Amino acid sequence: MKPGRHREATLYHALAGAGAGNGRTLEQLREAALKSFETSELPVWRRSGFWTTSLQSLDLDALSVQPEAVGDGVPDVVTRTLPDGPRAGRIVQSAGAVVHVELDEALAQKGVILCSLEDAFRDHSELVTPWYSKRLTIDRQKLEAANAAFWTGGVFLYVPQGVVIEAPFQIVYAIDSPGVAQYGRTLVVGAPTSDFRVHEYDLAENFDGQALHAGAFELYLQDGARARVAQVQDWGSGEVYDVSTRFVGVGRDAYCHWLPALLGGHLVRQHLELAISEAGGDMAFRGLFFTEEHEHLDVFAVDLHETGPSGGDVHWRGAATGESRASFEGLIQIDPGAQQTHTYLQIHSMMLSPKARVDAIPSVLVSSDDVSASHGGTVGELDETVIFYMQTRGLDRAAAVRVIVEGFFEPLIAELGDEPLEEVVRAKVAGKLAAAREDIEAYATSR
Amino acid sequence: MADLEIRDLHVRIEEREILRGVDLDISRGEIHALMGPNGSGKSTLASTLLGHPSYEITEGTITFKGEDITEAEPHERAKAGLFLAFQYPVSIPGVSVANFLRMAINAKREEPIQVKEFRNELQHAIELLDVDKRFTSRHLNDGFSGGEKKRAEILQMAMLQPDIAILDETDSGLDIDALRTVAEGVQRLHDEQGLGALIITHYQRILHYVKPEFVHILMDGRIVLEGGVELVERLEREGYDEIRREFGGGEASAVAAGDSGV
Repeated sequence: MKPGRHREATLYHALAGAGAGNGRTLEQLREAALKSFETSELPVWRRSGFWTTSLQSLDLDALSVQPEAVGDGVPDVVTRTLPDGPRAGRIVQSAGAVVHVELDEALAQKGVILCSLEDAFRDHSELVTPWYSKRLTIDRQKLEAANAAFWTGGVFLYVPQGVVIEAPFQIVYAIDSPGVAQYGRTLVVGAPTSDFRVHEYDLAENFDGQALHAGAFELYLQDGARARVAQVQDWGSGEVYDVSTRFVGVGRDAYCHWLPALLGGHLVRQHLELAISEAGGDMAFRGLFFTEEHEHLDVFAVDLHETGPSGGDVHWRGAATGESRASFEGLIQIDPGAQQTHTYLQIHSMMLSPKARVDAIPSVLVSSDDVSASHGGTVGELDETVIFYMQTRGLDRAAAVRVIVEGFFEPLIAELGDEPLEEVVRAKVAGKLAAAREDIEAYATSR
Repeated sequence: MADLEIRDLHVRIEEREILRGVDLDISRGEIHALMGPNGSGKSTLASTLLGHPSYEITEGTITFKGEDITEAEPHERAKAGLFLAFQYPVSIPGVSVANFLRMAINAKREEPIQVKEFRNELQHAIELLDVDKRFTSRHLNDGFSGGEKKRAEILQMAMLQPDIAILDETDSGLDIDALRTVAEGVQRLHDEQGLGALIITHYQRILHYVKPEFVHILMDGRIVLEGGVELVERLEREGYDEIRREFGGGEASAVAAGDSGV
């Protein structure tokens, strides 16, 4: 492939080079971020005329961090949602406070660390400091700066060299009531040849009123490490804004399977960047989203290759009902010198109501010549032929639609490879379909 | 009174009349063959009997087990005991054959089928139709060969146990082994379960394996000739042209001959 640009009408850019860390202490970073916060406005992102993500309806001054735990600690929505299966550990942050930490005793003996990021800076600064904000920036926009300046609680997970763990680590960010500004901050480090799973849950109670989750997530896999990372996000029916940046760095011969499932939020803007930083790195970057009612979702997914040989495989699926809007920008970026990189990006979307909209915008930025990079995808509506087929087997229209949409997501859900987690995601998809039943019915019969 | 009674059925699609007064009676335990050249309206009849929304019935009625189902929803017809084996079965990614079958069976029942009972029935159907057991864990028709798709149709038919099945050109595009499996499957469901079938075909070869008692020839939207299995032999000898000369409506035949798969 010839080096060159192929970007049309795109809005977002990959995080540029090194992050904010760069030898600075936590205090220095907080101070710099605070300056940026104070001098910037709430962001508005516009893409040439047809897409706007605006946070101007967010009343940030009315929200507070709430750094102290209130009530019983672990919110009910967490207890209701999380599967009970085997786990390596669980850490729960509610509003601004970490309210629950548990870690398998045997794993603690092996040197695994799971604790709040605040505690980690105090107790394990030698493990935290080299990685903290290594690739994340702190001043691209006001809420990113707010996170870097104000975060409390936070999560630190460290898996030592050679430790292999089948059961997942569960990381939970929960918002129990309106009025909360949650600045979630997660740092995960997989030492060489470690092998583990991370399941993050972002959950909120169904409340009336505004709340904010401005998250920053970074995960670094050192030589030969392997991780399967999933994120289940469902902020419920409240007016929850989620503006988050997530970065996964894959080191030499390391591998990451990453699957965010974005399943609800009033306004969600996600910058998701997976970088192959050293030779031999490989990854599978999956994702699914399902928007409903008046939700607004804006995803930017980056498949970044900083060196070669490396592999990549990006596969996203999204559906929209109601009057929801979803935009997916997928970028393959192959930097100079990342020779022998082979990667593919596909995005499939399905619109389930006449007023729903999904924009899928793949783009490719290639600066090396001995590479292959391509993208593909489909935009679909419900196929009457398929519905008729299932009806002739006795399924009514609503059931047929459910089968189609569940089948549409199933290839990705099945890849999670963790039955309890898969069931959580399947149940959420089914719940959304049930909620949108009338909408879908009316749409299908109107055509 | 026949189980399925079609009376003076007129059907149009996009302002074009395809069926122009079809009468047909089919009962449980009977095997009928509906033959006709491309464009004669065979597939239109099949889709219309199951209530495809694109086909508009302008005249006539369809009665099933004494109920007028002319306006019924497709899934209601299926629940009543009609089945359509598609000429071009659609693929449903993400849904395994077994799961789909379970959903379809449960749609017809009050209580969901017990796991063990389902497994037994599936096992029985698999043996009856000589299909590979691994087949049922694959996604329905997704990446299936032509022969596998048709086998999957017959497997569904065996599991759903309809009273009357309409097989829309199930034989087209099959190699001889697949054709034999499919045909023998139909014959055995007829023999064991009393299935009634309307086998729609352009060719004669499937009728070497399933013996119809009644043969109907459809041309230009009308049944022009009816009889027993001897009609199949006559068609083999003379072809459709001879019959068209004798019975066909001349004015529409040239148009109809140019359209396939309607």
